[in-house]
Amino acid sequence: MGATGANRGQPAIMDAKTRWGRFRRSEAASGLLLISPTALYALLMLAVPLAAILLYSVLTDGYLTVEWTPTLANYAEAWGDPLYRQVMLRSLFVSATVTLVTVLLAYPVAYYVSFHVSPSRKSLWLFLITIPFWTSYLIRVFLWKVILGFNGVVNSSLMTLGIIDEPLTFILYNVNAVVITLAHAYAPFAILPIFVALEKIDRSLLEASQDLGESRLLTFWRVTLPLSMPGVVAAVLIVFIPTIGDYVTPQLVGGPEGRMISNAIQLQYLRLDNYPLGSALAVSAMAIVTAVSLVFLFLNRRFLRVRQQ
Amino acid sequence: MKPIIQIRDVHKYYGDYHALRGINVDIGEGEFFSLLGPSGCGKTTLLRTIAGFEDLSQGTIHIDGRLMEGVPPNKRPTNMVFQSYAIFPHLTVAENVGFGLRRDPRTPAQKAAAVEEALEMVGLKGYGGRAAHALSGGQRQRVALARALILKPRVLLLDEPLSALDKKLREQMQSELRRLQRQVGITFILVTHDQEEALIMSDRIAVMFEGQIAQLAPPQELYRRPVTRQVAEFIGVMNFLPASVATVNGARIDVEVAGLGTVELAAEQCPGGARSGKGSVGFRPETLTILFEGETPRGRVAEGTVEEVTYYGDMTYYGVVPDGVDVPLTISMRNLVGRRVLERGERTRVAWDPAALVLFC
Ligand SMILES: Nc1ncnc2c1ncn2[C@@H]1O[C@H](COP(=O)(O)OP(=O)(O)OP(=O)(O)O)[C@@H](O)[C@H]1O
Ligand SMILES: [Mg+2]
Repeated sequence: MGATGANRGQPAIMDAKTRWGRFRRSEAASGLLLISPTALYALLMLAVPLAAILLYSVLTDGYLTVEWTPTLANYAEAWGDPLYRQVMLRSLFVSATVTLVTVLLAYPVAYYVSFHVSPSRKSLWLFLITIPFWTSYLIRVFLWKVILGFNGVVNSSLMTLGIIDEPLTFILYNVNAVVITLAHAYAPFAILPIFVALEKIDRSLLEASQDLGESRLLTFWRVTLPLSMPGVVAAVLIVFIPTIGDYVTPQLVGGPEGRMISNAIQLQYLRLDNYPLGSALAVSAMAIVTAVSLVFLFLNRRFLRVRQQ
Repeated sequence: MKPIIQIRDVHKYYGDYHALRGINVDIGEGEFFSLLGPSGCGKTTLLRTIAGFEDLSQGTIHIDGRLMEGVPPNKRPTNMVFQSYAIFPHLTVAENVGFGLRRDPRTPAQKAAAVEEALEMVGLKGYGGRAAHALSGGQRQRVALARALILKPRVLLLDEPLSALDKKLREQMQSELRRLQRQVGITFILVTHDQEEALIMSDRIAVMFEGQIAQLAPPQELYRRPVTRQVAEFIGVMNFLPASVATVNGARIDVEVAGLGTVELAAEQCPGGARSGKGSVGFRPETLTILFEGETPRGRVAEGTVEEVTYYGDMTYYGVVPDGVDVPLTISMRNLVGRRVLERGERTRVAWDPAALVLFC
C-alpha cells in the first residue's frame, strides 16, 4: 500500500521484475502467504465438492449412471414437486422456530451473565455454558431420544406422577422433537455472541438513560436492546444456517413427519442413487439459506455502522 | 442563601472501604459549587449519591426539601453530565438531546424546537442530524450538556466534564460553562481535580481528602486562608517554614519563624485555630518580593541566596534560600520593563509582609 502510494507520479510502465519484488515484500504478499494453507484447504474441501454438486445438478439422471446431457429438469422437480416443497418449507419452519426459541432463551442467560454475574465469575459461567460441547453431538441427540421417548424420562415421570395416563406421543418422532433437540444443541452458540455484544455496552449509557428519566425497563428497550442487536443478529445467523441443513437430529428424533431437506438429499444420493436431483435440492437449499443470511447480514451492517466509533 | 441540597452526616462504605466519612454540606440555589480533591478522595462517589446511583450507608440527602432515600435516579430533580459523556452511539445528536423528552406532553414539533434551541445554546446549531459517534470530544461534551439542560433540572451534576479536553478547549469550555450557568440559573455541582478550574469557576469550593471535606469556602478565602497544610499544598503553590507559637493571647499570636524572626499574627491568620507549640507558617510566592538595587522595602526584609531561576516570559520564578534556613522559598516576580533577571548564586534581599502569613499548627 505505502510503497504504491509513494511511487505515485512515476511513469506507469514499470519493470515487471521490480513489481514482483515489491509485491513479494508487501504486506499483501505476507498476508496471502499466511492464509494460503487455510485457503488451499478450504478450496479443496469446499470449492471442489461445491463445483461437483453444481455440475451434477444440471446433468441428467440415467439408470445407475449420470448422463452428460445438460438439463434444468432437476431444478424443475426440486422446486415443482409438492413433496420437496413441503420438506423445504418444513426445514425453513424448523430452523426459524429453533432460531427464535434459541435466541429468545439465550438472551436472558447472556444478559444475566453480563449484568448480574460478578466479573470474577464470568469466565466460570461461560465455561459452564460450554459444558454440553464436551459430549458428542450424536450422543446428545440420543439422550434426547431417551428423554422424549415412549418409555422415556418425560413420559414415565409424568405417568408416575399421575398427570397423564398414556405416554405422550407428540414429543418424539415429529417436528417438536427436532425443535427441542436442536434448540438445546445450539443454545451456547446463541448465548456467546449476545454475551459479547452486551459486554461491549458502556454501563454509563444505562446510567445516563436512567438519569434522563427512564425506568430500568425502558432503559433496556431504548438502550440495551438496540446496542445488543449486532449480537442478536450474529446469534440468529449462527443458529439458522447450520440448523436448516441439519441431518442427524431429524434422522434420529424426527420420524417420517420430521424429515428435513438434508434427509431428502441423503435419500436421493444414497438410496435412490439420483445424484442430479439430490444436487439440485442441495443447491436450492443453499440458495435459500444464502438469501435469508444476506437479509440478516444487511441488518447487521446497519447496526454495526452505528456502533463504530 | 436558600439551600437546594442538604447533605447530612453522609457515610458510604464499599464493603470494608469507608469512601465517604461524614459529609455535611448545604448547597445553595443557583450556586456554582465545586468538589475538589485528589484522585480517589470520593468526589465521584458523593456526586453519585446525590444523583441516586449509590445508596447511602448512613445519613440523609434532601433535594428541594424532599428526602431522597429510596428515590431512583430517574425520579430525582437532578441530571448528570458523565465523565465519559455517555452519548448514545445508536442515536443521532438530536435524538440524544431529546432522549429525556419522551414523556414530555409537548407535540413532536415543539420538542424538536426545544432540541434545536438546546443545541443552539451549547453552540451546536444545525448538528442535530449528525450521527453521535462522529463527534469530537468537545462536541460530545456539549451534547451531554444540552441533553441534561433541556430537562431543566433543579441541579446539574458534572463529573470532571472537561478533563478529556485539551488545554485550549478546556479553557474555552470553562468560561462557556460559567456563562451558561448564569444564563440558566441552575445549581451546578462540578467535580474536578484541577484546582485552577475550581478557582476560576466556582462560587464555593469543597476540598475533599479521603472521604471528608477538609475546607468549604469561596475561592478567595480558600486560596488566602487554607485551614490545613494539606489544603494549602493542594491549592496553588505555598512556601512553608517551620515555626513555633510562643504565646496565644486573645486576638494576637506571637510566632517565632525559622530564618525570619518573631512575628505577631492576627487570629484570622490561623484559620485552622492556634495553640502554642510547634507548627509551620505558609506564604504564597506572590506575597514575597525581591528587592532590586535601590528599592526601598515595604514590610520586613530577609537576606538570602538565589538558588534557582525559572523564566516564564511574563514571570520569573526564583528559588531563594534565606539565611538560617535550608529550604528554598519560591518567589514569583513580574518581569516589568527595565527589571533584570537575577542569576543563580546572587545574594538578594527579600521583602515580606507578616500579614500575608498563614499559620498551621
Ligand atoms: N463500586 C466501588 N466498589 C468499591 N470501591 C469503590 C467503588 N467505587 C469507588 N470506590 C472506591 O472509593 C474511593 C473513592 O472513589 P471515587 O470514584 O469517588 O474517587 P474520585 O474522588 O472520584 O477520584 P477520581 O478523581 O480519580 O475520579 C476510591 O478509593 C475507590 O477505589
Ligand atoms: Mg471520579
